[in-house]
Amino acid sequence: MTDYPIDEIFRRAKLGEQAVYPPKDEFGYNVFGADVYTRPRRFLLLDDIVLLPPQFTPERLEKGIELLREPLYTDVSSETSVGGFRVRMPVVCAAMGGTHIANLIGPKIARGCAEMGVVYSLGENIAAIRGYDERLTKQPSFKERALAYLENLKDGYGGLVIQQSVEDENLKLWEKVYTDPDFDRYVEEGLIAFEIKAGQGAKPGLGGEVLVSREVALRIKDHYYIPEDPEKVVKDYYERHSAPGTFTEDILASQIRLIKNNFPRVKVFLKTGPYRDLDRVIEIASREGVDAITIDGKEGGTGMSPIAGMRDLGLPTVACLGAITRARDREIRTSLIISGRLYDGSHVVKSLALGASAVAFGRPLVYACMGSIPLAPTFIRRELFRNPLLRELGKIALRWGVRGEGCTKGVVNYLKSVENEIKMLTSALGKYHMDRLSKEDVGALNRDLAELFRIRYVYSAPEAPEKVIQRGIELS
Amino acid sequence: MSTSQKLELPLEPQAFAEDIFRIVSHPVMQEVYRFRHLIAKAVRDFLDGEGFVEFDPIMVGPVTDPGTRGAFEFRIPYYGREYRLMRSGILYKQLLAAAMEEGKIYFFYPNLRHEPIDAAKTGRHLVEFVQIDLEVRDADHFQVMKIAERLLKHVIDEMKRYEDRLRKIWEFFGSERESLPDVKLPLKRMTHREAVELLMKHAKDDKVLKELESRFDVKRPQDRLSFKAEIPWEWEWYLSKIHDQPFFIHDYPRGARGFYDREYPDKPGILMDFDLLAPEGHGELSSGAAREYEVSRVFARMRETNENPELYRWYLQFLRDHGKPTAGFGIGMERLVKYICDLPSVHLARPAPKIPGVHSP
Repeated sequence: MTDYPIDEIFRRAKLGEQAVYPPKDEFGYNVFGADVYTRPRRFLLLDDIVLLPPQFTPERLEKGIELLREPLYTDVSSETSVGGFRVRMPVVCAAMGGTHIANLIGPKIARGCAEMGVVYSLGENIAAIRGYDERLTKQPSFKERALAYLENLKDGYGGLVIQQSVEDENLKLWEKVYTDPDFDRYVEEGLIAFEIKAGQGAKPGLGGEVLVSREVALRIKDHYYIPEDPEKVVKDYYERHSAPGTFTEDILASQIRLIKNNFPRVKVFLKTGPYRDLDRVIEIASREGVDAITIDGKEGGTGMSPIAGMRDLGLPTVACLGAITRARDREIRTSLIISGRLYDGSHVVKSLALGASAVAFGRPLVYACMGSIPLAPTFIRRELFRNPLLRELGKIALRWGVRGEGCTKGVVNYLKSVENEIKMLTSALGKYHMDRLSKEDVGALNRDLAELFRIRYVYSAPEAPEKVIQRGIELS
Repeated sequence: MSTSQKLELPLEPQAFAEDIFRIVSHPVMQEVYRFRHLIAKAVRDFLDGEGFVEFDPIMVGPVTDPGTRGAFEFRIPYYGREYRLMRSGILYKQLLAAAMEEGKIYFFYPNLRHEPIDAAKTGRHLVEFVQIDLEVRDADHFQVMKIAERLLKHVIDEMKRYEDRLRKIWEFFGSERESLPDVKLPLKRMTHREAVELLMKHAKDDKVLKELESRFDVKRPQDRLSFKAEIPWEWEWYLSKIHDQPFFIHDYPRGARGFYDREYPDKPGILMDFDLLAPEGHGELSSGAAREYEVSRVFARMRETNENPELYRWYLQFLRDHGKPTAGFGIGMERLVKYICDLPSVHLARPAPKIPGVHSP
């Protein structure tokens, strides 16, 4: 966790749009910000790709003619559509489940996402552990989180994505939502998607694993694998494992068909992980007509994963992005969402240039919310500071001392900083719409990545003009 | 409902909450209920004559069938566990057909399904209804289709004896029907693919599209036709409307049905199943299939329908140790009454109908 850019996120949660500028020295940020050039790591990252603005910008000329003045970065439209949802920017809040921290601040993040018009996802096990409509613990229920989002949506932006795990199936969560009069209006307006969960970044091939309190353990022990029987062994927290779910090509195809058949009024999303057969997964899911596929690279976060899993299971995020680029080369048009340690506007613009439709943020939104905890309601603070790991975070948060606004404001500020960055960078590339971003806008600092994405290696001579022209013809 | 206004008897589902006695004691409604009784009797006579054994429905259990089209299950507390009210008797049907020496069983099975609210608009969906639910051992779908068509012909022929009385009901509800069809066996059979192909041809006619759009409030109905999915409600209505005899659609694509409909061993992706449809726009009366009975196949299919096998432990154990090929079908009793009496909506076939989203008696 220590090498995650927490400080940078807290800074954004505090400063909002202003956060796109270099930090002020009085915060002592330079120490943490020094990694603009170096960062210790094992994998190639999206940071190994840079954006390549051109001198000649015919699209800026077009925009100028439209506006009858010189265009500014504020003239960039970050609005786009993801999986059939209209969004204010190509950002999705990654699915967070029923774990302690994610659930506690879930409604706050939901409100922030609704205000900023981005897609919000509800992960697995929320209803199973926290209750569907009535609270089974002191924490918010599934419906509280869902409605915190839906009731705050405005201007027709956004969409709610609902996952169901093997164990959630006991609850028949999707059927419950689909027949619930409180959701019917939103179903009718096309604001709901059901997401098949077939993987996650940090632990591809493993199921959900979390720690639960004894009270929860006793309640759910019939439905989950809990190695220590909470009736016989008394302790504060118990490991709770859930099954990863078995997939074959047929099973995946059938699950998609079944949702389309059983729930014709919702959109269908698929969440997959950094698997070696990712190309095939994208192929099948697109063929079956899913509305969007979220691909979580191995750097993707999670509540609790085995260390060996985080270290050694799965394809790095940029390699997953490679699968997205290949899919576009095969003319697959399905919305493809990438996630896994992506947290700023550059990441979004680069991902879009390489073929992604949007980027999913998980931890950034959690931290942005937590960065604002000094002024969060007392009950949230008390919960957070009970956990030693979170206490550590709390200290950083206090250093940033986001004042006066609370968690939702932190999320809104954070997203505003990203939105601002997306607009600035896109405008620098001489473009004004998200769907105009393309491979020509990026270059690799590394030959392997240049080869993977078939983009320019920045240290090699640019292609001969006739080759550029030839490529232009091929592209069009 | 314009007809009911004309007749000065409010018959909307909500009206049952206002004054249910006024509705159920109305002479025409009484006749509908009497026909329900006559139809049930005709069904029992036929099945008993065929050597079937009738069982009383099993109402609660640890698991019910997976349901389709988004219906939720009702749950009740059961000595520290949560049990389900049956959405259908499918699991018990297979058990009893495999267990009984006769190998032929039936139920009049009450089903409870918490249907999505949009199902209230179809005029064909009830939350509480009864299925004539039968299962036959060592049979496939084609064999039980033959039973289904003979059963339906028997019921229609029996009811033809009362056509004078039926005409009064038809007249009351504004039906243009003059008589019940003279059912000729075998009934017409078409595969799901043939049915969709036929509808795709008709989907080129703007007049057809406009009618479906306005009648069912759907946009671009032509885009909703697919070889891979169920036939949408509006198209099923249309297909039924252009027929004047009952007919079968068989061989649905996998993904459209529950795990229990058997896949052709030599035709992957196609199910050994069928629907029996009534003509004149009444649509589906019955669904049936040959069953998956090999535990390995059922297990894999359960994943496809996103079911948790853990919940189906008794059923999987029964299949593993005693599973036998069976086939069967269920006929919606209220839909059959709706068809025979030519009612405008299925809720009129029950005295205290439950429509999705409506809080009625």
